[in-house]
Amino acid sequence: MKSEPVLLARVGRERSQAIDTYLADGGYETLRKVLTGGWTPEAVTEEVKKSGLRGRGGAGFPTGVKWGFVPKDTKGKPVYLLCNADESEPGTFKDRLLMEEDPHQMLEGQILSAFALRCHTSYVYIRGEFFHGARVLQRAIDEAYEKGFLGENILGSGFSHDVTVHRGAGAYICGEETGLIESLEGKRGQPRVKPPFPAVVGVFGAPTIVNNVETLCCVTHVLKRGADWFAKIGRNEKNSGPKLYCLSGHVNRPGVYEAPMGLQMKELLFGDDYGRGMKDGRKVKAVIPGGASAAMLTAGEIEDCPLDFDGLAAKKSMLGSAAIIVMNEDTCIVDAATNLAKFFSHESCGQCTPCREGTPWLHRVLSRIEAGEGRAEDVELLEKISNQMGNGITLCVFADAAIAPVLSSIGKFRDEYRYHVENKRCLVGPRAAVEAVTA
Amino acid sequence: MSAPAPPAPAAPPPPKKDTLTIVFDGKPIEVPPGINLIEAAKLAGIEIPHFCFHPRLSVVGQCRMCLVEIEGIPKIQAACTTPIKDGLAVKTTTQKVRESRAANMEFLLINHPLDCPICDQAGECKLQDNAFGYGEQRSRYDERKRQYAGYDRTAIGPHVVADMTRCIQCTRCIRFCQEIAGTGELTFLDRGGRTLVWTHDGKPLANDWSACAADVCPVGALTTKEFRFRRRVWDLKKTPSVCPGCNIGCNISIEDRDSVVYRFLPRLNPAVNDYWLCDYGRFLSESLNAREISKATVREGSDVRDAIVPAAVERIASEIRSTIETDGPSAIFFLGSAHLSNEENFLLRKIADHIGCGNRDVVVDRSRVRRMKSKTEWIEGDHAGANYAGARDMGLSPGPGGHGLTDVLEGRWIPQIVVVADASFAAAADDAEKVGRLRGARFLAVAARTANSLTRAADVVLPAASLAQKEGSFTNVQGRVQWFQRAFLPPPPARAHWELLLLLGVALGWGDRNWTPAAVRTQIREEVEGYDEVTEQELAGGGLMKKGLFVSTGAV
Ligand SMILES: Cc1cc2nc3c(=O)[nH]c(=O)nc-3n(C[C@H](O)[C@H](O)[C@H](O)COP(=O)(O)O)c2cc1C
Ligand code: SF4
Ligand code: SF4
Ligand code: SF4
Ligand code: FES
Repeated sequence: MKSEPVLLARVGRERSQAIDTYLADGGYETLRKVLTGGWTPEAVTEEVKKSGLRGRGGAGFPTGVKWGFVPKDTKGKPVYLLCNADESEPGTFKDRLLMEEDPHQMLEGQILSAFALRCHTSYVYIRGEFFHGARVLQRAIDEAYEKGFLGENILGSGFSHDVTVHRGAGAYICGEETGLIESLEGKRGQPRVKPPFPAVVGVFGAPTIVNNVETLCCVTHVLKRGADWFAKIGRNEKNSGPKLYCLSGHVNRPGVYEAPMGLQMKELLFGDDYGRGMKDGRKVKAVIPGGASAAMLTAGEIEDCPLDFDGLAAKKSMLGSAAIIVMNEDTCIVDAATNLAKFFSHESCGQCTPCREGTPWLHRVLSRIEAGEGRAEDVELLEKISNQMGNGITLCVFADAAIAPVLSSIGKFRDEYRYHVENKRCLVGPRAAVEAVTA
Repeated sequence: MSAPAPPAPAAPPPPKKDTLTIVFDGKPIEVPPGINLIEAAKLAGIEIPHFCFHPRLSVVGQCRMCLVEIEGIPKIQAACTTPIKDGLAVKTTTQKVRESRAANMEFLLINHPLDCPICDQAGECKLQDNAFGYGEQRSRYDERKRQYAGYDRTAIGPHVVADMTRCIQCTRCIRFCQEIAGTGELTFLDRGGRTLVWTHDGKPLANDWSACAADVCPVGALTTKEFRFRRRVWDLKKTPSVCPGCNIGCNISIEDRDSVVYRFLPRLNPAVNDYWLCDYGRFLSESLNAREISKATVREGSDVRDAIVPAAVERIASEIRSTIETDGPSAIFFLGSAHLSNEENFLLRKIADHIGCGNRDVVVDRSRVRRMKSKTEWIEGDHAGANYAGARDMGLSPGPGGHGLTDVLEGRWIPQIVVVADASFAAAADDAEKVGRLRGARFLAVAARTANSLTRAADVVLPAASLAQKEGSFTNVQGRVQWFQRAFLPPPPARAHWELLLLLGVALGWGDRNWTPAAVRTQIREEVEGYDEVTEQELAGGGLMKKGLFVSTGAV
């Protein structure tokens, strides 16, 4: 049974991007209610806390709690809000849809969040490749200024706010919040030493909150329909609200789907409202549940697998950016791991020794195995390299993300790696067949 | 039931400490606030291996070498970025720490050429040292090593040569240019395993302190054109000295082998030059090897003849004596130098006093104005001679009714005899007109190491020592008296200026042949205002502000 969409309610409607259709659908009423209805910033933060909203950018940190980390006394410094629209996690394409199809939903959430933070300037840091999205967003911002939802003294409330769109230049690491901050300051995009955390010292040395696009969209609905309504959606109060799932891979109907938090993985893959089963009727071999950084799950593990923060943490993986990548039985797992390792090797910012040196090393060893030049000790070597890179010894969690696909694929498909090393070819997939014929 | 115990008296608030207690491997140690764990460990005598941390550069936590365990925190932590707190218990010797260090060393070495025998950094390389101290013997890396074709053996500025294949991406050089020099020429290019350091848009690394980027580079990725491949560093002897380049008086190490100076390196003095040197001063090192005046010479009519030093000195003394008889002592002019030590300038002034002559001076040379960053502030130099203040303090200004250098150079006064204590450095020395004015004297005597118009014009030339070949003290622009030591002896018959001056003094009936610079300093202490507290120990410790303001120079 498919529930009523919240975040995607307006997606697909004609001219869903335009402010007149948004206003006709009751848009910006929530902003008016909050700004002119006697709400205090603290009350807004409290409402968001009560809703149980957890960040949709990857880490799942409770949004209201994060806002509470901004010091009461900012020592005369402004507070900044940054909307993280860098969306570069492989397999993830939900923020793009939200921005391109319903930009005002996000803007309203952004202004509401800014009000809660007493923030007068916010930025949208948008992935450089999202050229269309940036244009749609800019048009929406211009419209919002025209109608008085942005700028000086919004709706006569005394609250003023400006939003600026900043386009990235093509680096995955600029999605990490401190890398994003450096990049926004015009510097090389590389994560910062923490502490201090951005809520205390962020962009331009001032307290800063970074929130994901989908998170900000959720804020609009929390305030529109109340924290209690939001908290009731989902599997439990710790995993609440509507959620977008990015389904890709060997399924019949890949795409972005909305469902209450905690949708069963099997439902997403096979449900009529969602993926409609595996392409060509093949079997599931492995699923990456939360973007490239999340540990792979086996076909067995996706039984009773609620897609939410705690459900996937229980399976030692993570919801991450909710990018569900499905691989069928013909997928060579070494090939898949090599592909992911290549991505991480390409995207490491290069400041930390273990990540700078470890990511290309992993990729090289994996490529060697994939090319049929693996050695008996290579699989163990991969595990050892990974363990030397992980466990939080680096400046950001990128290194831990980079090893997740390697360690999980070896842990769960060790025999396939072994076969690869011993027989110098894939166990399954097109390359296995070709090799078998020519061998 | 027993009676309730009387309420315990409120515990007095613990006395406020201005130090913090950190426990390293079970041993508590008091450390001052404001330092980080690497520095604190050093105070405890414990080395935490590191690459990217530098005491004067921002803390970036990039190399991940300084990992330690901290009680109460499950994850291993980078010592350089861990906020320091009272009572922190740090473990630096656990298995986890040892394994993490070895792992990090493995990562650092997989793409490193490991050709130390042909790398100029060998012997003073942090990578070599840490690999030896904390690495494993073997690597499991069996792939092709990374190379930066086109980025090796390439000059990136007038002094610095880059070998990017050796770079360990610690960003010290980048941070030096950004944070100390303030010029920001260097940056990371590309990312991940392809990250390298280069200049922005290929513009040269050409700030006034550019070679410091090579100093802070822990490996052989940045070296200086001037020193590269000239000597293995373990062959070099270090002697504490003071830069002769200007009156900031940066503390240097003169590094020599077999009496040849190969380089100057900065010697830490937080109050003066901290960890730095300017390129101009640093690369004066080679100039110390010049030796053009290697014998004493005496002019007889149109002939210039070699002489032994005592005979040449006696010739000067006899000229002075006869001039005193015919024209009185006020026909003689003594020119000291901002390049000579306090001791030497003092001796020169005492000789003038002894014969009753008030005509004395030093060259004022403001042709070089340099800047240097101490730990806390920028120091502005305003004189090209390292000891301008000292020369003045020692009394090298015209006495009452006496004449000075401008009187001679502007033709207002022609002395009978001119004694130039240091002809090698005098700015006027190669200016034909000025030399002509000095040569207007009946008799011109100079001491020098290098030849110029002045030495060629002189009647007596005495062979003098270089900075490396003598001991003494300079007083810098701050009023800080600093000691320089002798690295090696001057080649006979050349002698230190102070020895030549003592010979002259004795020939004129003043002074003692056996005095040393230390003995002269005793007299300076007694006679010169403001120098009474400059003890030998304090000089050895890094310099004393005259007038007794002591500034500690303990290593950081
Ligand atoms: C390597 C890396 C890449 C990331 N990329 C993104 C991204 O593209 N978009 C995003 O919203 N968050 C990304 N994050 C998470 C952010 O650091 C941050 O946690 C998030 O934007 C916070 O927003 P939220 O609290 O609303 O989730 C990334 C984190 C890491 C470590
Ligand atoms: S872990 Fe990797 S991506 Fe993150 S800061 Fe370090 S080098 Fe950069
Ligand atoms: S060149 Fe030297 S100082 Fe600069 S980043 Fe590389 S290793 Fe560090
Ligand atoms: S600033 Fe002056 S004393 Fe210091 S290194 Fe340069 S020339 Fe020498
Ligand atoms: S010294 Fe701490 S990370 Fe480099």
